[in-house]
Amino acid sequence: MTWPDEARCAVLITVDLDAELAILAADPSTRDRVKTLSVGGYGVTRGVDRLLGALDGVPSTWFVPGLHAGLIHDVRQAGHEIANHGHAHEDFDPLDLAGQLDAIRRGQDALAEVTGSLPRGFRTPAGEWKPGLAAGLPALGIDWSSSWRGDDLPYFHPSGLVEIPLHHELEDHPYFMFNLDPPFPTGQSRIAPYAAVLENWIQEFDAYHRFGLCYVLRLQPEVIGTPGRIGLLRSLLSAMRERPGVWFATGSQVADHWRATRTGNEPGHPADVFAELTS
Amino acid sequence: MTAATGHADEAPPGSRWPYRKRSCVSLAFDLDGPTGGAMLDGSLWGKPEYFTLGSYGPWRALPRILDLLDAFELPATFYTPAWVVETWPERCRTIVERGHEVAHHGYRHEPYYGRTEAEQREILTRSQAIFMDVLGVAAVGFRTPSGDWSPVTARILTEEGFLYSSSMRGDDRPYLHPGGLVEIPVRWDMDDYAYLAYTRRPDYPAGLDRIAGYGSTLDNYKREFDGYHAEGLCLSTLWHPKVSGKPGRILLLERLFEHMRAHDDVWFATGRDVAAWWKERHDRAPVTEEGS
Repeated sequence: MTWPDEARCAVLITVDLDAELAILAADPSTRDRVKTLSVGGYGVTRGVDRLLGALDGVPSTWFVPGLHAGLIHDVRQAGHEIANHGHAHEDFDPLDLAGQLDAIRRGQDALAEVTGSLPRGFRTPAGEWKPGLAAGLPALGIDWSSSWRGDDLPYFHPSGLVEIPLHHELEDHPYFMFNLDPPFPTGQSRIAPYAAVLENWIQEFDAYHRFGLCYVLRLQPEVIGTPGRIGLLRSLLSAMRERPGVWFATGSQVADHWRATRTGNEPGHPADVFAELTS
Repeated sequence: MTAATGHADEAPPGSRWPYRKRSCVSLAFDLDGPTGGAMLDGSLWGKPEYFTLGSYGPWRALPRILDLLDAFELPATFYTPAWVVETWPERCRTIVERGHEVAHHGYRHEPYYGRTEAEQREILTRSQAIFMDVLGVAAVGFRTPSGDWSPVTARILTEEGFLYSSSMRGDDRPYLHPGGLVEIPVRWDMDDYAYLAYTRRPDYPAGLDRIAGYGSTLDNYKREFDGYHAEGLCLSTLWHPKVSGKPGRILLLERLFEHMRAHDDVWFATGRDVAAWWKERHDRAPVTEEGS
């Protein structure tokens, strides 16, 4: 059995507490564009409370940029896990390895100052890892990541770090994020129909349950936390709770379970293939 | 729908396909993995997350798709860049072992458009050698990576012993290219990229359009199948395991296959079988239309 307590599948609800930082990091010229920043800021003014209400006892893991360490009081009070999301939601692509590790270190320091302990989990704010990042994370207190793709079960990076992979179709941002100018999406696509997105998320859950996989939902308070969209999350969670055999877990619980029950990846895993081809 | 096109549409439904089947479905997957533009320009080697997104296809999605095809007893063709065969040989061997066809799709998903004849021949021979070495079979089918080819490609393919191509969009029935290469056209309407694929850096879709609803995508697929079946045509697909082999989309395909299998007058066949049958039956007919 893959999951604890004879569960058929694992569900990990994750939240990126980006608020205005993702917009600012992606386009620093938005610094003086108050309306644009308020698209993200809504996550803090309104989204977080609404999201905490909808979670209603379901565990979750929140990826928090260090600059937002002061905003996590209520999240912690409700019992959710805090993990690292850089310091200022840095774009990793222009940074070298030292710069990437420095962003993570500053985030760790800021979060530990509030929580009293170093977060164990990490999610890339944006961009790709430089070679050596996975090997450098344990020294910062991080033993798992939820940043890469390539599987719907956890796996190991060659350094031993556990990866809990993501899927665009299980994220709210690709469906709903919108700003007129600077435009997101860049092609000014319509906002996706809410009912269709809920249907996708539930259909994926049905399949994860059937195949025994690890469902990783990725939310942002400024995206899912509107009066009309929060109902999508409520409906999804109630569909999950109706099913027997669902293990709701935090990222650290998933990582611990994977380490306790696995010693390595099956031969040919994409993470190992990439390492071989770039070594 | 005239004899002048060389398409034999005068044949009444019910006699156009083998076993007096009314329509033909030739399921096809492009098993690209992480090959393509970012591998060809080298940027892929600085993009581990993007690499894993592509690798999901041969690594995780392929076995699930093969199980689904088994469950419905459906044959399929897998257009597979030879780099993928080299990198995941065990995974790719199971395609052949379970009775499906592997066919050519470049070495690293190189577009044939804009390449010299020598370059095209080099990609073909290198890939065929890998197919023989790892899979024990040579490809007789060809699908253009990225959709376009050069004016000499059809001739080269014929000279290199290929039976058919499934690259063009301009028809919903097979036809013959000048020189006798069979074409099994496939349309964007049956391409999962047009509905479901989503990547960042490089962004796809270029304007970051939304991932479509699975229900509306299934409805489009069903309506296309219904139309092809009603008119007695040949439906092929442009599906990518890394896109359509996600867990929830396996359920989408399962519902589509249930819908198709509810008909007992559909000929399900690999591209190779469709092409061999079409060529045997239509080789004599002159072709006056490129169809692309």
